[in-house]
Amino acid sequence: MGRFDTRRIGQYGLVLVIAVTLNFLLPRLMPGNPLALIAGVDVGLLSPDQRAELVQEFGLDTPVWQQYLRYWQDLLSLDLGYSYRSGQAILGMLLERLPWTLLLTGSALLISGVIGIVAGAVSAWRRGSALDLTLLTSMIGLESMPAFWLGMLLISGFAVSLGVLPSFGAETAVSGLEGWDRLVDIAEHAVLPVLTLSIVSTPGVYMTMRYSMLEVLGEDFIRTGRAKGATERRLLFRHVARNALAPVLTVLALRLGYAFGGTVVIETVFSYPGLGRLVFEAVGGRDYPVMQAAFLVFTFAVLAANLLAELVYPLLDPRTRASA
Amino acid sequence: MTTVSNRWAALLLLLVLVLSACSSTDDTADSTDDGAGGEDAAASDTPDDAGDSDDDAPDDDADDADDDTDDGAAASGTVATMRAAITGDEGTLTPYTYVTGFPGWNLLMLQYDSLMQIDVDGVPQPWLAESVDVSDDGLTYDMTLVDGVTWHDGEPFTAEDVVFTVDYFLANAAGRFSRNLGAVTEATADGDLGVTLTLEAPSPSFPLSTLSDVPILPEHVWSTVEDPETHQFEGPNVGTGPYTLEEYQSDTSYRLVANPDYFRGAPTVEELVIVQFADDAGALAAIRSGEVDVVFDQIAPEQVDLLGQQGTIEIAQGPEYSSQLLYFDASKAPFDDIAVRQAMSLAVDRQDLVDTVFLGAATVGSAGWIHPDQPTFNAEVETTTDLEQANALLEDAGYTDSDGDGIREADGEPMSYELLTPSGDSLRLRTAELVAAMLADVGIQANVSSVEQATWEEAVWPGFDVANGRNYDLAMWGWSAPIQADASRVASLVHSEIEIGSLNLTAFADPEMDEVAQALTVEGDDATRTELIGELQSLFAERLPFVTLLYPDGAYAYDAAVYDDWAFVNGQGIVSKLSLLEPAARP
Repeated sequence: MGRFDTRRIGQYGLVLVIAVTLNFLLPRLMPGNPLALIAGVDVGLLSPDQRAELVQEFGLDTPVWQQYLRYWQDLLSLDLGYSYRSGQAILGMLLERLPWTLLLTGSALLISGVIGIVAGAVSAWRRGSALDLTLLTSMIGLESMPAFWLGMLLISGFAVSLGVLPSFGAETAVSGLEGWDRLVDIAEHAVLPVLTLSIVSTPGVYMTMRYSMLEVLGEDFIRTGRAKGATERRLLFRHVARNALAPVLTVLALRLGYAFGGTVVIETVFSYPGLGRLVFEAVGGRDYPVMQAAFLVFTFAVLAANLLAELVYPLLDPRTRASA
Repeated sequence: MTTVSNRWAALLLLLVLVLSACSSTDDTADSTDDGAGGEDAAASDTPDDAGDSDDDAPDDDADDADDDTDDGAAASGTVATMRAAITGDEGTLTPYTYVTGFPGWNLLMLQYDSLMQIDVDGVPQPWLAESVDVSDDGLTYDMTLVDGVTWHDGEPFTAEDVVFTVDYFLANAAGRFSRNLGAVTEATADGDLGVTLTLEAPSPSFPLSTLSDVPILPEHVWSTVEDPETHQFEGPNVGTGPYTLEEYQSDTSYRLVANPDYFRGAPTVEELVIVQFADDAGALAAIRSGEVDVVFDQIAPEQVDLLGQQGTIEIAQGPEYSSQLLYFDASKAPFDDIAVRQAMSLAVDRQDLVDTVFLGAATVGSAGWIHPDQPTFNAEVETTTDLEQANALLEDAGYTDSDGDGIREADGEPMSYELLTPSGDSLRLRTAELVAAMLADVGIQANVSSVEQATWEEAVWPGFDVANGRNYDLAMWGWSAPIQADASRVASLVHSEIEIGSLNLTAFADPEMDEVAQALTVEGDDATRTELIGELQSLFAERLPFVTLLYPDGAYAYDAAVYDDWAFVNGQGIVSKLSLLEPAARP
């Protein structure tokens, strides 16, 4: 384990530095001008002097390398700065959005994980049957559905036509609800976005599981098990599924990393106040500090998820354990 | 096994049926991902942003101005709670943090008041100042303030606050308000209720552009604020306006509560909840499902009929002063040639654009730039479409199609240019496509290039400063309502000197127009001003600093069963404090 740690940590550190640097550079390579945001939309009304004053105030006139150094300083002191748009402290904004995003992506990850794994296992076990084909074609169909279109369809059906579910937001605005009632309200608001997200992310898990199962089914120990007269059920769950899970859980672990990034499309369609939407708005308005802070969170999350997957895999698949 | 698979197939079939049933309710999404910035900036001086879900309904039932069609629904009186939809986030809604000119500034002004207030005809009327006297030389504004007005925290409002506001905006650059007050050299208080503003030069549009626009700040709150852009206030923003902002959650909602002591009487809606949507499709779905009662964004033309058929939803319509324009860099060939500009204007069938793209819900553009509903409109200016004349002009000027490929040549190069348009604005994109087809009829090839909002702005108006030049051939452009509403702004659109022509994005230069435009900025006499604006329109139509295509009309959807006392302010729409005051209290 010790050897793994030092070398790996070095690698991850290097990746992190590169990511942070890219994170600093990318927004500045985009066309467009943050002045519009800082000054509000009436930037055209500013006199040249007023404009220069603003540029100076936000440090946009210093050389890029100075901005870069200042960026690292702020980062290490956990000072994420203020949004150009609203003047709010960014750390607070992120912390406000993160729970909503995780509620959405976390629930969808769980649902799509469970359904994907079960359906994938069943499909592979009954390979070639009508059930397998039905599952396979419907999953491929679902996968090709654009998330925004599905979301709008659900809004139009359940919110507009039937009026049974709310169509937007994380909870009823200014509802005054508390305790249990508020939880119910939040749950109602989460139904459609979570459903949409689950539907579009299940096929990926299903495909991985099905393929992985088929691999395992072809291996020697299954034949041995069959020959020994193990029951189908026991074979399926004890031997095949367990061995097939490793790659699937890796996929899910990585998805957990991406989950922190929220989901721009779904959060936009349902006007859900998560991180994805924050980024969407920030990118559109060249709100550099917010963009950088949010991308930084994603970078950390994805790296952490990678690390997690790397640590978990050997525990699942004995064949990959390092020979001590 | 077969039973199982049948059951699966049945389930799948059911799912398909349910989904297709849902889809028949037709949820057209006109909006595309326009970014955060792409929020209907109908602001003083910004390009009329992409993402403007533009306009409205067939003209045949256009009820101009306040659309007060009572159909037995709840009328005025007080409404406990109303929910309004906006698109995008407007920050903490202080004069330094609001984001867009529309609806941001409009929501800001629910909490604050200005010295004067625009009425439904777009004319400034006394407001916090009960009288406004202008000296003969146009340099001094003597005002007497309304007595007994209090700030939200109970402190009395005095002349000192007005003086403080002027000084504060001038000392802390804030864009719109600092710039508007830029002409003020001195503000002095005379007792508690007298204020005198002195200008460095006469500015006939001062009441409209400044007195009706700048929110008055409380000195006792703001005197200690050093960094207004990031300052976090404790509790609600303190103004004199009809509402206080009690709660704000970014990207979620605002909660505004009526100020019962408002100096014009208590507002008609006690609690106004403003819900933020990520795009206008979400807002439209929400008004149809009854989750919101009004949409504070313009409804796209194709939505109007659909919405109008829904229960108690009604549409308030009227003229807006935003515009769709064809821009070019007039400082370089061939656009520096008046024949080419005239040919392009003659090639465009404006009525066709209005009918095809806006389904009739727009006003045909006048070649003289000024909207026909404007009091200063010059009726003698003619706007014509004539392909024959356009082609003749180009032939005579030597732009011939020598290789017979349907595209004329200028200096041996084919007349083929990129036409930039923002991707977030579908109506503008469709307009661009049609304009390109029309230009092709006179042998000019315009290749529509749909780019992201920021890229488009950066090409036409780099750094929002004409001193940086420009970097395009042809572009779709549009100004927001205030540029049209204040006719004297035409000077900043056409004047060749950067100081005056701060919005001259087409690099247009014409000595005669410079002269008239400049005279207009300082002329105080109304009759003479109207004459000058008329003259300018004739010159405009002939020399074409840019080609005015059309002015989209405004349309707003609201649920008449909840509230139907909306005031449609000409050129501004329904989002203003006027809509939320008793009719008698409106100016």
